[in-house]
Order: sequence, then structure tokens, then C-alpha cells
Amino acid sequence: MKIKDRVLKLSFIALLISMTAAMFYAPTASAHGEKSQAAFMRMRTIHWFDLHWSKEEVAVNDTMTLHGKFLVFAGWPETVDKPEVSFLNIGIPGPVFIRAGSWIGGQLVPRSVSLELGETYEFKVLLKARRPGDWHVHSMMNVQGGGPIIGPGKWVTVTGSMADFVNPVTTLTGQTIDLESYALDNVYFWHAVWFAIAFAWLLFWIKRPLFVPRHIAVSTGKANTLISAGDKKVGLAFALGTVVIVAASMGSTNDKYPVTTPLQAGLLRGMKTFQMPEQTVSVKVEDATYRVPGRAMNMTLTITNNGDSAVRLGEFETAGVRFLDPAVHEDDTNYPDDLLAEEGLTVSDNSPLAPGESRTVEVTASDAAWEVYRLADLIYDPDSRFAGLLFFWDAKGTRQMVTVDAPLIPTFI
Amino acid sequence: MSASQSAVRSRAEAVQVSRTFDWMILFTLFTAVLGGYHIHYMLTGGDWDFWTDWKDRRLWVTVAPIVSITFPAAVQACLWWRYRLPVGATISVVALMIGEWINRYLNFWGWTYFPVNICFPSNLIPGAIVLDVILMLGNSMTLTAVVGGLAYGLLFYPGNWPVIAPLHVPVEYNGMMMTLADLQGYHYVRTGTPEYIRMVEKGTLRTFGKDVAPVSAFFSGFVSIIIYFLWHFFGRWFAKTDFISDDAS
Repeated sequence: MKIKDRVLKLSFIALLISMTAAMFYAPTASAHGEKSQAAFMRMRTIHWFDLHWSKEEVAVNDTMTLHGKFLVFAGWPETVDKPEVSFLNIGIPGPVFIRAGSWIGGQLVPRSVSLELGETYEFKVLLKARRPGDWHVHSMMNVQGGGPIIGPGKWVTVTGSMADFVNPVTTLTGQTIDLESYALDNVYFWHAVWFAIAFAWLLFWIKRPLFVPRHIAVSTGKANTLISAGDKKVGLAFALGTVVIVAASMGSTNDKYPVTTPLQAGLLRGMKTFQMPEQTVSVKVEDATYRVPGRAMNMTLTITNNGDSAVRLGEFETAGVRFLDPAVHEDDTNYPDDLLAEEGLTVSDNSPLAPGESRTVEVTASDAAWEVYRLADLIYDPDSRFAGLLFFWDAKGTRQMVTVDAPLIPTFI
Repeated sequence: MSASQSAVRSRAEAVQVSRTFDWMILFTLFTAVLGGYHIHYMLTGGDWDFWTDWKDRRLWVTVAPIVSITFPAAVQACLWWRYRLPVGATISVVALMIGEWINRYLNFWGWTYFPVNICFPSNLIPGAIVLDVILMLGNSMTLTAVVGGLAYGLLFYPGNWPVIAPLHVPVEYNGMMMTLADLQGYHYVRTGTPEYIRMVEKGTLRTFGKDVAPVSAFFSGFVSIIIYFLWHFFGRWFAKTDFISDDAS
């Protein structure tokens, strides 16, 4: 064998071994690709805040909630369709929980909703644990024409056995069923019946010589001899039997289920908004830069306090990542560690801003999260603007929220 | 053995070889149709066939027969005109449904844990049997297209009603009324399938009150006639032997 052929042969064997080995490596895909979503979409569409996951560990059949608020950003990017048809979803790997309920402004939202730009909404999702494992549970909003907009996620452990899961539901006809397995026997039964009929029809034909002799017969003009009168009678019996079974089974089903309704669909409009405390602080972004080597965003802000109490800047939140100034505000909600920069916010002068005072400050939001959550990729997005929420507190602990939205200039040195 | 000699030495051996050939071709046909038809149906019928909360009385009834009469028509064209075998539609649909059941059971349930009672496939067998029998009795593509195509559309909804009716029983849930199928779609989270993607109960068919399913089925049957013609010709074209070079000539 020539050396060239030997190399080719060995290369082919190596390729096969590599492919086979790759098949045995199947890591669990537990997260949802939120880091891959364009940074400007996460920063300038839905701002999730005040999120709270009620449990970090939950047993099968027990429930937990994810609740909080979201702001539909007024500076919604032009490249993403407006949230006129949206659906409050939950970012989990399939039905590891069932969605026992979801509400926006107190209204159940099993259907799509219409959201208004610039408005804040309160939401809650009730989850019932179904499949054991460690699952990343995200808030999530699907927007028609915009795609899924995934919010912050937190790991939740489900314990127990999926075999114990039950999903009891009482119908309007008074019957209590387990939706997990309801009507399953009926599905199997009817499919088995029709498969049996189909196989009988196929068997009737394929038990006899098929392709070669029949092709010879057709080719020699003897096609009509291949279908006998008996075949036609059997065929007629199958066709009539099919129609009779369809009609009879439909009739008996209607007798068994006299009350049925069509599938329900529609768009819910006029969702109740959440009124945030009146905004008395105004913020003007003088400039904003992202320092690539330092993984930090610097903003020059002119802050004006039009209220009647002094305020301090305590938090900057964008794309679910929270940068805090611990001297002003500390998180007590057990927010996911990877999304929380507890000392990530520095302000050049964060002394209380008195009523009527205006001050220009340098604000830096720095943390590895810029890199880890690929927010730094904003500089490669088609609409290189950043946006986020600034939270100010007064001495009484009253909080107010201000949105910022401005161009971002990257610096590479 | 020279090229002019027979490969078999007796009639019994010829019959045996012929039967072996039958099973090889049947297996190849079955798996090829299973793969091709499955991909076609999933791309065109997709979610309407995947989920119970898509199986409505308007669009599912309309779409499923239209996009599923394709391969039956093409395979019939080959098996009937070349072999006088009236099983093209049934063998196609059985292959498709076996493929679907494998997919739903192993992937939807075994891999992603959706209960089978939300993701079972639609039943296409009644229409397929009638389509085969009409071709056999009439020996006419036109008759099969017109009568069989219409029957294929008309039989779809009643053929599936015994399976889906229990899931159309209404339920009151947190102050809203929905069917059990709607509730399944809501409970069993599909992260990539938001509610607004669901194309159900849409359209302008509002003058028939609650009896829209028969009208949808008739419309589906009419379009199935056209699709049958189209795919029957595809089948005839693909069943030609012009693609094989004849070295002897």
C-alpha cells in the first residue's frame, strides 16, 4: 500500500474514532443561551427588576414563584418589533416545571398580551415542580417579530421523583382528571385500531409476489389481470368499513363527550400597569464609554434633584446585571451571584444630592459580568447604544427609578 | 458465469429471489418514504401535528390533509402504474405515522418529557385507505384525485375526533375558560413556542356559527384534489427509468 493511501486510511479511521467518541460526550444543556442574545436587545427592550425567586429547592408537586417587575423600555430599538403582541413565558428547559399560573398586573395571562412602551408592569409566574434536577429558571418575554427576550436566571433544584408528579384538574363537566396522563389510553387505543386496519390492508397485498412479476405483467399489457374481482370486493369492504368506523366512532364520541368547546385564543389588551413612585430626579448622560481592557463602563452624568429630600445613586442595572454602591444599597433578595456586582458601582461624588441641586459625576460600572454576560459585545451590535435603570435612594429608604439611554463609545487603550 | 447466463437455476429459486427482492424493495421504500415524508410533513404541518392546543377546527383541519396528501399521491403513482399495487397511500401514511410515533415517544416524551397526551400525531389512516381503494376500483388518476382527494380531506377531522374530543372538554382556570388542550399548552412549558405563534381559530369563517369544521374539511378536500394532481405527476416523473443509463443499447 502506498504511503498516501495509508495516510488516507488512517485519517479516515481517526475521523470515525473522533466522531464515535464525540457521541459519548453529551453535556447537559441547562441554560438558555441568554449570553448569546445581542447585548442591545437585553439592554434596551425589557428591563427586569425587583425579581424574586421564592425557593432555591423545591420538591416534585410543590410550587414556587418568580415575581417582580419589568419596564418596557421607551427607547425600544428600531430593529426589534414593538411588543404589541407579547407572551409572558418562563425560561426553563422544557416542562421541568409546569406553569400553574402567570399574571401581569394581577390578570392571568395564558394568552398573548399587548404591552405599552415606557410602562412598568408587575408580574408573577407560579411554577409546580415536575422533573428532578438543577434548572436555570429565567424570566422571559416573547415578542412577536422580536423573538424571546430572556431575563435573569437563577438555579433551582427540584427534588423527588417525576413518577410522583400529578396534575389534577376539575373540568366544567365536574370530572376531576390528572392532566399528566388524561386520555392517554384513548390515544393509544384509537391509533392501535387504525394501525391494525392499515396493516391488514397492507398484508392483504404484500403477502403475494410483488415487484418483479407484477412489473412484468404490467409491461406486457396484462395489468388488468393483477386485480381480481375478489380484490375489489375486499377493497370495497375496507373503504366502507373505514367510513363506517369513522362515522360510528365520531357518533359515540359525541355521546360520550356532549360538552366540548373550541380552542381558546386571543390577545389581551389594556394590561394594568404598575405606577412607580413619582420621579423627581432627572439624569442627563453627557457621555458614556466602555473601556474594553478594564471591563468597565464609564458614564458622565448630570444629575438634578427636583424633589424635597436628598438622594444618592445606589444602583445601575442593565440586562439584568446589577451594579451596586454598597454604601447606599445592599441586596437582600438573594439575587443570583453572577448577576450581582455588589461593589461594582463607583460614583466620583456620591454624597447626598440636596433638593434643587445639580451635579455632574463620573459613574463607573465595572465587573467581570460585562465579559461573562457578553454585554461588552454591544460594540459589535447594529445599534450601539446602551440603556439601563438608575436607582436613587433618600435617607428614608424611598427609592426612585430613572432610565438612561445614550450612545456608547468603546475605548480600546 | 457469463453475462448471458441466468442468475438462478430453477423456478423455485427464481421465486425465492423475487420474494427476497420484494422485501428489500419494501424495506427501502418504507424507510425512504418514512424519512422524506416525515421531514416534509414536519416542515409544512409541524406544530399543527405536534401539539393538542394547535389541533383546532379551522386551520389544523385545513392544513393537515393538504400537506399530507403529497407523498401518498406520489407513491401511488409509482406503485399503481408500474405494479398495480393499491397500497401507495396507506404505506406512505403508515410509514409517516410510525416515524412520528418514534419521534414523539423518544424525543418529545423520552428526551424532553412532554406527556404523550399533548404531542401524539394526527391520524391519517382512514383517508389513506379510502384513497387506495378508490384508485384500485376506478383505475383513474382523475377519479382518485377528485373523489379520493375530497374524501381524504373530509375524513380527517372525524377520523381524529375520537382522539381529541376528550381534550376539548372545557375547564375554568383562575377565572378564565379554556379547553383541556389549551391548559396542556399552558402548563407544559414550551420556551420556544410562545402562545402568539399558535395559529388557531384565525380566519374569516364566521358565518357558520360553531359548525366550521365541516366547511374547513370541504375546503381542505378541494385543495387536496389539486395537490393530489401535482404530487401524482411528481410521483410519475420520479418513477421513470430515464435516469438509468442503458449500456446495452
